[in-house]
Amino acid sequence: MAHYNFDTEANAKKHFITAMEVKYGKEWGNNKQADDIQQTTAKYLRLGTEQNPRKMEMAKIGAEIMKKRGLQAYDPLLHLAGIPLGQRQLTPYTLGGTDIVCDGDDLHYVNNAAMQQEWDDIRRTCVVGLDLAHETLEKRLGKEVTPESINYYLEVLNHAMPGGAIVQEHMVETHPAMVDDCYVKVFTGDDALKDELDPQFVIDIDKMFRPDHAAQIKASMGKSSFQAVHIPTVVSRTADGGQTSRWMAMQVGMSFISAYHMCAGEAAVADLAFTAKHAGLIEMSEMLPARRARGPNEPGGLSFGHMCDIVQTSRKFRDDPCKIALETCAAAMMLYDQIWLGGYMSGGVGFTMYATAAYTNNTVDDNLYADTEYGWDTYGTSIGNVKAPTLDIIKDIGTWGALYGLELYENYPTALEDHFGGSQRATVISTATGAACAITTGNSNAGLSAWYLSMYLHKEAHGRLGFFGYDLQDQCGATNVFSYQSDEGLLAEMRGANYPNYAMNVGHQGGYTTVCTGGYTGRGDGFAINPLVKTCFADDLMNFDFVEVRECFGKGALREYDRCAGERAFVIPAK
Amino acid sequence: MAYKPQYYPGSTSVAENRRNHMSNNVQKVREISDEDLTACLGHRAPGSDYPSTHPPLAEMGEPDCPIRQIVTPTPGTAAGDRVRYVQWADSMYNAPAVPYWRSYHAAINHRGVDPGTLSGRQVVEARERDMEAVAKEQMETDMTCPGLAGLRGATVHGHSCRLQEDGVMFDMIDRRRLEGDVIIQDKDQVGVPLDRKVNLGKPMTTAEANKKTTFYRVGNVAYRDDPEAIEWLQKVWELRTIYGYQPK
Repeated sequence: MAHYNFDTEANAKKHFITAMEVKYGKEWGNNKQADDIQQTTAKYLRLGTEQNPRKMEMAKIGAEIMKKRGLQAYDPLLHLAGIPLGQRQLTPYTLGGTDIVCDGDDLHYVNNAAMQQEWDDIRRTCVVGLDLAHETLEKRLGKEVTPESINYYLEVLNHAMPGGAIVQEHMVETHPAMVDDCYVKVFTGDDALKDELDPQFVIDIDKMFRPDHAAQIKASMGKSSFQAVHIPTVVSRTADGGQTSRWMAMQVGMSFISAYHMCAGEAAVADLAFTAKHAGLIEMSEMLPARRARGPNEPGGLSFGHMCDIVQTSRKFRDDPCKIALETCAAAMMLYDQIWLGGYMSGGVGFTMYATAAYTNNTVDDNLYADTEYGWDTYGTSIGNVKAPTLDIIKDIGTWGALYGLELYENYPTALEDHFGGSQRATVISTATGAACAITTGNSNAGLSAWYLSMYLHKEAHGRLGFFGYDLQDQCGATNVFSYQSDEGLLAEMRGANYPNYAMNVGHQGGYTTVCTGGYTGRGDGFAINPLVKTCFADDLMNFDFVEVRECFGKGALREYDRCAGERAFVIPAK
Repeated sequence: MAYKPQYYPGSTSVAENRRNHMSNNVQKVREISDEDLTACLGHRAPGSDYPSTHPPLAEMGEPDCPIRQIVTPTPGTAAGDRVRYVQWADSMYNAPAVPYWRSYHAAINHRGVDPGTLSGRQVVEARERDMEAVAKEQMETDMTCPGLAGLRGATVHGHSCRLQEDGVMFDMIDRRRLEGDVIIQDKDQVGVPLDRKVNLGKPMTTAEANKKTTFYRVGNVAYRDDPEAIEWLQKVWELRTIYGYQPK
């Protein structure tokens, strides 16, 4: 499995062309396709599902299920009353930035364990401060808090957090084999304290980040200390994201009682519980209002800035802001489009198609590297050396990027056919244009502004954009980009999936996240908006790989992803 | 009701064609009979009466009001017709129409229409006979090439696909195809087989389509080659942006 770090526009173009040739110029399964990727006509063989092994596997298993349960199940011939999929052709997808090629079906989150684990790992995570709790222990109870006591507390906590008993007799416990993904680590900007703590518990900022990023992050968090908590996947899957902080706070409270020999019922326990549940808590996402009715740590409340900081590519590829943006794009598109809008909000299975366009076949890659090179060359900018945005700069990069993206589809008919819906194309072009503008200016709102200009140009050039609501959102957008009145505008990093006018249309939320990524990576910063979130996920023990997101999706598609958590196989009859 | 001509920026043939569609300055190039039109749309049997959802307005004893005095009902509304649809898919390979201009054409030049615009299809919903007037006009004029556009109620896929080897836009359920030198249609909008082959006429040649299209693309009229159109659009963007930025 190879990684490609494109570095240049030419390199990205080469891999885009390779992906198109793999998709349309070579046989995949039995599709017998061998097209020139720049030809405007094609021979349509109408081979149906038989051209594709994955579809045939699905048909076979569908028939077996039907026979076993005596009830209709999956049958590809039920499509269009006997006209199955594949009247065009069933083609494979190359995961962007890798050499992994897979079937489209394997990029649906239901069929892809890695995609599920990405969301599991976000939903089951929270950060909780230690300072307030330590103050309560010291000032109210007169306990001595030392590195040794913290180490002991963390030992207790890593037994308790997965569901081990620590105080009461007669308690049932969770089986460790079911909850082995659950743990707690700590991080701090206090180097002296860090050096005293048991390394098994520490996310060492100096080791996980480049020196300049580490210094920036530590300066932002000061001497404070925080716990990075990941509750068991099986727990948050059984309940919801709101369970994460409750589960955490209960085990944190019990662990303080045990580790610091407190009275289980004394009033000070309430202070510790309040700290864990509220005062010292940082959720990954905010609770949603009643009309959308979701608790915290559900995707609708996840800000674009937090999503940027959850993805870790910036730790290892600081000098390639496009790669950071592309990996973030993949993570955010999958979560916001497939799971949030497709699953929670709509129920549609087809939302996968929007997300997939953003991280396959190196198309966004080609656009983004080209647009970024244009910005850097025109304005003499580079990482950490950005140009303050003006409307003229935004207009220039926005127009250049939009025309480049449109002409890519006009010059490569197979790319146009791959992104068969206008909303896919609009997202691809605006994501690249907006992110490149943000990289050049170091300003995510400037990137958003370029996004909307790109949308206007796209709609006008091709006489079409996405669909009713999609177009509405983008026609309105320019007006709220620079408004700072609280009900109309906000820093892009602080907007999120439930931001007014952003809440309903696929293809946008992941794109906006990518634009936000451009802002902080263009400045060369270590984080987008929250150093605590960035540090919390700077941890190789996490099940999902938040550095190489697309490769991780690819492993899931190839059924090679082996870091799944929350599985029930241990407690169900072996087959 | 009289409409003034519509204005649109740009100095290229694409811009001119867009102005023509908006102003209904389109040329009739083929004849589609009412029965054939009805068959292709698939909403009722050719020759049958229009089903209605309410009695004719004249028989309903509606209350008098200023709005009713100002607005003359469309024929379909007056008769109580159902609301039905016509939906088009237009190829991105220089079909004469693009979705937004089908919508503009319908909304500017016809009353009582509800256009919907997407990337791969464009729908007009209206009282049935009013809708048929729009459909017939768009079908018979040079804003439609039967090889590069199609009536598609469902399974609209094809606008962005490469053309078939014979130059016809791909249609998954094969509603219409090239026979001889004309396009025939033998399934209705949603793919239900018809009892007839409707002759939709000759498809445009590549040269004709390039000349008639409202789609900017490299190899014909690239968008970047129409600077007036781009500058106008940039101005729209700039004004909307500045309007939203009002520090007070």
